[in-house]
Amino acid sequence: MSNKSEVIATENLIKTKKRSQGADVWRRLKKSPTAMIGLGIIILFLFMAVFAPMIADYDDEAIKMNIKERLQPPSSTHVFGTDEFGRDIFARIVWGTRISLFVGLISVSIALSIGGFLGAIAGYYGGRLDNAIMRVLDVLLAIPTILLAITIVAALGASVLNLMIAVGVSNIPGFARVVRAAVLSVKDEEFIEAARAIGANDFIIITRHVLPNSMAPIIVFATLKVASSIMGISSLSFIGLGVQPPTPEWGGMLASGRAYIRDYMYIVMFPGLAIVFAVLSLNLIGDGLRDALDPKLK
Amino acid sequence: MSEVILQVKNLKKYFDTPRGKLHAVDDINFSIEKGKTLGLVGESGCGKSTTGRVILRLLEATEGEVFYEGVNINELDYEGMRKLRKEMQIIFQDPFSSLDPRMTVSEIIEEPIKLNKIITDPKERFERVLELMDLVGLSRRLMNTYPHELDGGRRQRIGIARALALNTKFIVCDEPVSALDVSIQAQILNLLKELQRKLGLTYIFITHDLSVVNHFSDDIAVMYLGKLIEKAPAERLFTNPIHPYTKALLSAIPRPTLDKKVEKIILKGEITSPINPENNCRFSDRCNHAQDICRASEPPLEEVFPGHFVACHLFKE
Amino acid sequence: MSDKLLKIEDLVVHYITDDGVVEAVNGVNIGVDRGKTLGLVGETGAGKTTTALSIMRLIPHPPGKIVSGSIELEGTDLLSLKESRLEKIRGDVVSMIFQDPMTALNPVITVGDQIAEAIMIHQKVGQSKAAQKAREMLEIVGIPGNRAGEYPHQFSGGMKQRVVIAIALSCNPKLLIADEPTTALDVTIQAQVLELMKNLKDKFQMGMVLITHDLGVVAEVCDDVAIMYAGRIVEQGTLEEVFNTVKHPYTEGLFNSIPNIDDRRDKLKPIRGLMSDPYNLPKGCSFYDRCDYAMPVCETQKPPKIHFGETHFVECHLYQEQQDFKLNGGKE
Repeated sequence: MSNKSEVIATENLIKTKKRSQGADVWRRLKKSPTAMIGLGIIILFLFMAVFAPMIADYDDEAIKMNIKERLQPPSSTHVFGTDEFGRDIFARIVWGTRISLFVGLISVSIALSIGGFLGAIAGYYGGRLDNAIMRVLDVLLAIPTILLAITIVAALGASVLNLMIAVGVSNIPGFARVVRAAVLSVKDEEFIEAARAIGANDFIIITRHVLPNSMAPIIVFATLKVASSIMGISSLSFIGLGVQPPTPEWGGMLASGRAYIRDYMYIVMFPGLAIVFAVLSLNLIGDGLRDALDPKLK
Repeated sequence: MSEVILQVKNLKKYFDTPRGKLHAVDDINFSIEKGKTLGLVGESGCGKSTTGRVILRLLEATEGEVFYEGVNINELDYEGMRKLRKEMQIIFQDPFSSLDPRMTVSEIIEEPIKLNKIITDPKERFERVLELMDLVGLSRRLMNTYPHELDGGRRQRIGIARALALNTKFIVCDEPVSALDVSIQAQILNLLKELQRKLGLTYIFITHDLSVVNHFSDDIAVMYLGKLIEKAPAERLFTNPIHPYTKALLSAIPRPTLDKKVEKIILKGEITSPINPENNCRFSDRCNHAQDICRASEPPLEEVFPGHFVACHLFKE
Repeated sequence: MSDKLLKIEDLVVHYITDDGVVEAVNGVNIGVDRGKTLGLVGETGAGKTTTALSIMRLIPHPPGKIVSGSIELEGTDLLSLKESRLEKIRGDVVSMIFQDPMTALNPVITVGDQIAEAIMIHQKVGQSKAAQKAREMLEIVGIPGNRAGEYPHQFSGGMKQRVVIAIALSCNPKLLIADEPTTALDVTIQAQVLELMKNLKDKFQMGMVLITHDLGVVAEVCDDVAIMYAGRIVEQGTLEEVFNTVKHPYTEGLFNSIPNIDDRRDKLKPIRGLMSDPYNLPKGCSFYDRCDYAMPVCETQKPPKIHFGETHFVECHLYQEQQDFKLNGGKE
């Protein structure tokens, strides 16, 4: 009888007591003002990306040329002014957010899944496999990221999809290295051996024990890489290899606006600021996460 | 004579290092009877932990055989080994690194049951986890805590519960108490002893601390640099040690008492490297009694009294 | 009273963390005489190391904070000294040996240079003089002087601990604080190092605070013993007093927890439960919930200090009424 009531009591406890480690990280992250500023900015961008259709009409304001209203300075109708084709710069930045964040996230996901997989098996199995994988990636790493991306886009042709592939592939070696290092630091822990002793196979050990315990550096690296991917996308678009006009993209806006920089500097200033804030906020979050995820700072 | 559960024959484990072959375990033989405890004693680097891991095939043996209930486990395939792992378990030294920090107490204890599909019904499995927690003296309210929120003694109890979650008959205890405070040490030792009595477990108890195995073991085997140098029933080993190293080891333990001071044997030097050892008595360079013969050839392990084995040239003379 | 080298009075140290205040040291009084060794015994979290670090004023701050009390070294109050004066004392008058010899040495500097460095900081001697002294120190701790040019990784654990001892003793300190100096070593090596420390203690005539959890080590090296529990000294006396006439139930529990190597049949009797949560120490005696002799008064009131003779005292309610109360040795 008393035994049964204890079982019920413990079942209740499951719901109340299970304080996840995510909550711990969040508690520590909240203490960093810079990370919170970064988080605020990025939430604003995300909001713009999700609700873009309600903020500005894509066809009407961001795409359609309107020569009558070209090169207007910021005003109440056009908060950020209009560009050389009379398009509303604010609307284009809002829609550009979608492209930048989406391409940034997807390309990092590509790099994370392929690089992460290669890094995990290289780190876990070690030996010759490790050598083979890492040496091939070292060759890739020797080529500057942006140059590699340019080469890939040049070979595949300029499109949003190819842009994602290019930025993603060029980030693979970096992710492989980070994941490999994280796996190496975990794989010799005794709980891995304990898992083997209870009959777990390699797949279970890697997915249930090794990877969850190496997440911290990977999350930090991924956050920082989204930022640098946004830079990469803008750079490629700036030199004409990325998103093609008239699709609104921050780097592309900079490129087309730079002819007017002397007289109408707001045309390049606002997309420039958008890039700066997006990259800065992600870097601030990344640094904050690095501290929050470090259990030694508890 | 009761039934032998585990027999180790000419077991060798060498590691390749840049400076040569490291003879971690070098040709050792012993056997354990069901329900008994063998204490495997030695200082760091003597190969005792490697022995424990080779027996469980967490490391592959270089040479030699390990028979568990008559089956040569070195010849088993992955599936066969997986079946055997339900009976052979290990308890680790470090209660901090041997538990996955991202899993809760109940998840850790549940994992082996789930993995080996012992109980498939989640509700029954949950009952079993609670039962195991009771068995090792872990309060049920701790089930959703994470290991880092608990002290060393409780963490070690989690490790013990995990080892018992399957149909465990045989456990390698690798220094299970050396990371714990003395008062907690005694709690865990008593728990292990009680579990042995209740469940009829067989233990290999690996430790550097002779006073711990004294309470615990039926037989004690002393290792030095990969070699088994003396093996005897515990009672006999403590009262009648023969090998000079065993004697020194026994005398070196600081005793918490002011009366009956034991004469200390202070050894010279430190453990030498087990890389490419020469063919001599491996203890000869530290031994206070070493003779020419000790430096010239390796003494074999011989039975000098019934059940008492020793590997020393000097005893014969 | 004999001449006191070190006197700590009513020391209180707190760690202030996000989760609350840890009362790590809670009113500790200890003294060390010149040339004598005090064993500070206790389990993890008892506050031994915090007490030792307070002597050198090395408590990490924040979160640590010496709240009150005084620490006098030969009559000088260390807690009121300026940081620059303290730096002169550290390593010169007071030295410290840490538990882990593997991390106490700088891996990229030769052991000879590490010893010489310690000498040159505190004594006005030239490089060659210091190097020569370093070699002498190595010889004293039993390492051939010609190994001075080698790097720490070329030494084994026991040898490294000898080097650490050589560094600690290089300036003839008056007080040596040794924090678990042999815990990381093998038994036969521990025996060697303990032997060495005993000899050096006599040779250098220094006072020593030996922090350990091992009563066996205490029996071999110490003159006086202080048993620490939850930030307080619960029993203190000379080695003979504490070992032969155990007064505090916790001390008794410690002795009963140690497997007796010379008697197999002796049953282990562990102390039940765990040390109280340092964030939330009980109102009365900290040992109350683990004590076999607990009385109602123990739960609500802090135990008084009861003296037995000049040097032996215990903090326990049991002796309040009857001075001649006897512990029953754990046998029911």
